[in-house]
Amino acid sequence: MRTYLLLLLMAGSTSLGAKKIKLLVLDSPSGMVQVRVMVQAGSAYDPPGLEGLAALTAEMLIEGGFGPPGEPVTKERLAEITRPWGSAARPNVRVEKETSTFRFTVPLEAFEEYAARIMKPMFTQPLFATEELDRLRKETHVYIESTLRLENTELLGLYALDNYIHEGTPYGHLPEGTVQGVGAVAVGDLQRFYRSYYTAKNITVGVSTSDQQVHALIQDALSRVGRGIKAKKLRAPKASAAPAITGRQLLIVSQPTTIATGIHLGFPIQVGRQDPDYWPLYVVNVAFGTHRDSFGRLYSDIRNARGYNYGDYSYIEWFQSRPFALFPPPNVPRREQYFSIWIRPVAHEYAHHITKAATWELEHLIADGLTAAQVEQAKNKAKVLYLNLAETAGRLLSYRMDDDFYGLDQGYLDDYLRAIDRVTVDQANSAIRRHLQSAHLKYVIVTDEEWASRLAEDIAAGSNAKGKGPAEYNLEGHEENGELVYDIPPEMEEIISQDQEWENHPLNIPAGNIRVVSSKQLFENARLIEP
Amino acid sequence: MKFARSIYSILALLSAMAVFPARAAAQDFFPYPVKKTTLDNGLDILIVEMPEFKDVLSFNMLVLVGARNEPEAGKTGFAHLFEHIMFRHKFNGEPNGYADAIDRLGAHNNAWTWFDVTFYHPLTFTANLEAVTRPSGEVIPGLLELEAARFTALNFDEEIFKTETGAVMGEYRKSAASPRLAMSEKQLALAYPDHPYGHTTMGFYDDVIDMANHYEHARWFHSTYYRPNNCVLVVAGDITQEDLLPDLVAAFGGWEPGDIPAVPDLDPTLNGEKRGEVPWEAPVPPRVSVSYLSPRFVAGSKATAVGQVLGELLTSESAPLYRLLRSEKKTASSLHLSATEGFGPRLVELDAQLFNDQYADRGTVLVEEVIDDVIAGCEDLKHFSELQGAGQLLEMVKSKYKYDLLAQLNSPANVALNLAYYYRFERDPQVLDRLVRSVQELTPGDIEAFARDYFVADNRVVVTLAPVQQ
Repeated sequence: MRTYLLLLLMAGSTSLGAKKIKLLVLDSPSGMVQVRVMVQAGSAYDPPGLEGLAALTAEMLIEGGFGPPGEPVTKERLAEITRPWGSAARPNVRVEKETSTFRFTVPLEAFEEYAARIMKPMFTQPLFATEELDRLRKETHVYIESTLRLENTELLGLYALDNYIHEGTPYGHLPEGTVQGVGAVAVGDLQRFYRSYYTAKNITVGVSTSDQQVHALIQDALSRVGRGIKAKKLRAPKASAAPAITGRQLLIVSQPTTIATGIHLGFPIQVGRQDPDYWPLYVVNVAFGTHRDSFGRLYSDIRNARGYNYGDYSYIEWFQSRPFALFPPPNVPRREQYFSIWIRPVAHEYAHHITKAATWELEHLIADGLTAAQVEQAKNKAKVLYLNLAETAGRLLSYRMDDDFYGLDQGYLDDYLRAIDRVTVDQANSAIRRHLQSAHLKYVIVTDEEWASRLAEDIAAGSNAKGKGPAEYNLEGHEENGELVYDIPPEMEEIISQDQEWENHPLNIPAGNIRVVSSKQLFENARLIEP
Repeated sequence: MKFARSIYSILALLSAMAVFPARAAAQDFFPYPVKKTTLDNGLDILIVEMPEFKDVLSFNMLVLVGARNEPEAGKTGFAHLFEHIMFRHKFNGEPNGYADAIDRLGAHNNAWTWFDVTFYHPLTFTANLEAVTRPSGEVIPGLLELEAARFTALNFDEEIFKTETGAVMGEYRKSAASPRLAMSEKQLALAYPDHPYGHTTMGFYDDVIDMANHYEHARWFHSTYYRPNNCVLVVAGDITQEDLLPDLVAAFGGWEPGDIPAVPDLDPTLNGEKRGEVPWEAPVPPRVSVSYLSPRFVAGSKATAVGQVLGELLTSESAPLYRLLRSEKKTASSLHLSATEGFGPRLVELDAQLFNDQYADRGTVLVEEVIDDVIAGCEDLKHFSELQGAGQLLEMVKSKYKYDLLAQLNSPANVALNLAYYYRFERDPQVLDRLVRSVQELTPGDIEAFARDYFVADNRVVVTLAPVQQ
């Protein structure tokens, strides 16, 4: 039996006086109340030498015990209390550069109990138990030292590029921290971070009900946030703008057990969601490199026509949860963004060739622009992405939080379809001209130990950049005067000649711009590379 | 404005489910009527009308083919390869014709393959079901025509086949640094030495390398398994059966059925514990995997129902085993349970990741201790009813299971996925109701019986992975 319910969508925020928490409301009559608590402090706020403090503070709020010290809600107790309300009632947190966002979903009828037993003590009476800090620290070390450095070629490349682009700035380390930074964090540091940034004016709450009682319970639960602990405040971080890139720079990272080579490149751009060029550039990017989709040109040329790898994509803003996520998770807003290209691992012997191919593609996008037909097709594709971006109430609520972070007048999803409709081919091409370039790039290549130095030499010398030819494309041949001559069908001629063009295309990365490191040298401390 | 209304609709579903939890009694757990039609050629069509999701069309084809249908040595990975080739259909005889037409139409279009199923799940606007005429006058075929064309008359050639084998190789390689992949390969080989369940859906690496040389086999594979009587079509969203069904019959009615080769039955016991080790060249933390062979999926059966709640009983944050390893002894940095439902007996796996520093001190003694703890944790369920408050605990776990499953039914795509996933076993549109009901009827005695029958040494596979000492 289908039940029809009238829905009211109440956009906008309710700021209720100075000491009140800012509430963003998505008015759903659902009996399951979704809550997001966004704290405007993330890993970019980590003090030097204490990288990981933001992440540990947030996780320790949940898992470090809270409430009266004599009768604390330990993480075990927390699991017990929330269990009957479903998995999503157990709070979790996502810490990124600028924000830490707590999320939980509570049955409406249990909200009062939840606010009293969990929400209020968690945000106002954290205990930061040393034992739990030690455990979380250890888990973060396992993540950085093994999962990231040793177990996933793609994850390593994505974060190596992220750090490389932001080298030397507060954005330049992982949201989880660094090996040394995490090791140095003490309970006193957590208290200072909490005292400094977990304040009413620094917190925004999103909630998926207009129930006034729920709003009042949230206000009450958070009204004394940050006040329960006496600690000296931290200094706010310095500016985060990524350093300028001069020429083309390459970082080759070796990973012991990888059997293929991942390729990444990027450069900072200044096009936020509030920028008039955002939507034109968004459409351009759909045409060039839609994430995990066959639509984009990169994918079409490198994977679809030639089978070099599993996929090839591009980005105009940070995309969390790769390599697995199909659509961008919200609540990871960043003030600093960069354009990037992600080439999924190719066979080692084609690494140089495909690095050239990706560069050639970018250069040609800039030189040729897009045709009216290409823009129309990309707009059409972009519109369909809306179905996934706006798939659930949880996503709608989260995007609303991000809209507030970015200070958008029009909600990102509310305006999405109309904004794409408005993009013209001229806007798209002028956005390319204004914001994309290929002269100053940072590349990251992840490969195995043996290939790392070979690739460095080959790329510096411009040698050994061969791609697939008739033999590798499994074409048949016949013998002529004792020599094998391939029979190249007409549809393969263009494919093979394009490979040859890539092979001969100069990368122009001199030896002096290439660094070869082991994955063990990354993520150690705030410096990009530990010697 | 018409698009914006879909937001309201998405919320409406969540509301419908959550405001009336009482409705979710075992009798009518699944919130939508499922309208089923079986065509003469054996194709099952399920239509789920979800008009509150304005303009959304989720169009899914489930094919009963996976690793399980690859018994021939040297030829693994073909089911997964076809998940790729289906996107390369030469619509109207044109290279890349299908993909180009989808791009012009606009759809999110993807698919996945597992041990006994391949699932295609395009998502688009309902208006794109039929041919669309653009302002320029260009006519673009609708999704219905495109899907019918690739499923009923796939057109691919050797060149496309060979290019896609390269992409599949790339898919294997991207994951090869992962110790998990190597452990899975070892575990499956031990558990299913003489059965195609013994390889991952990706196939053996050597077979993937060799794949490009087996074009004829690929053609045979496709024409054997891509038959209407081996498929289920599930359409959900802003559509009605009345409008849609005649078109579906016209589009898919001419698809020729075929004889689907039977898969040999599988001995549901291992006849003795199997152990394997994977030495690893990088200094990753050691891993332990303990698995038990458990019965095939039967909706309504006790064993299947118990399988649904094992994760909550063994590896959730509140589970005694989880607490022992993660909080008391602190020997594991993670502990997970995975259990996939299948047509044949599948493994229930518990995997734990250990700590490098403890391993450096204690070596294999540590590994053995964790294995013993995991085994003891599973075997403790043989005495489940003796636990204090066991009945109450089980009631809470049952409630949580129901809410978590309901929470997954939050969009047309997710409704279609969950329905198709379970429907495939017995072709019963009420399968989710039966499954949920059987879980709600579990007693502590049922948990004990399952543990006694299946958590036994003879049914166990243990795989460990540890770094090679440098």
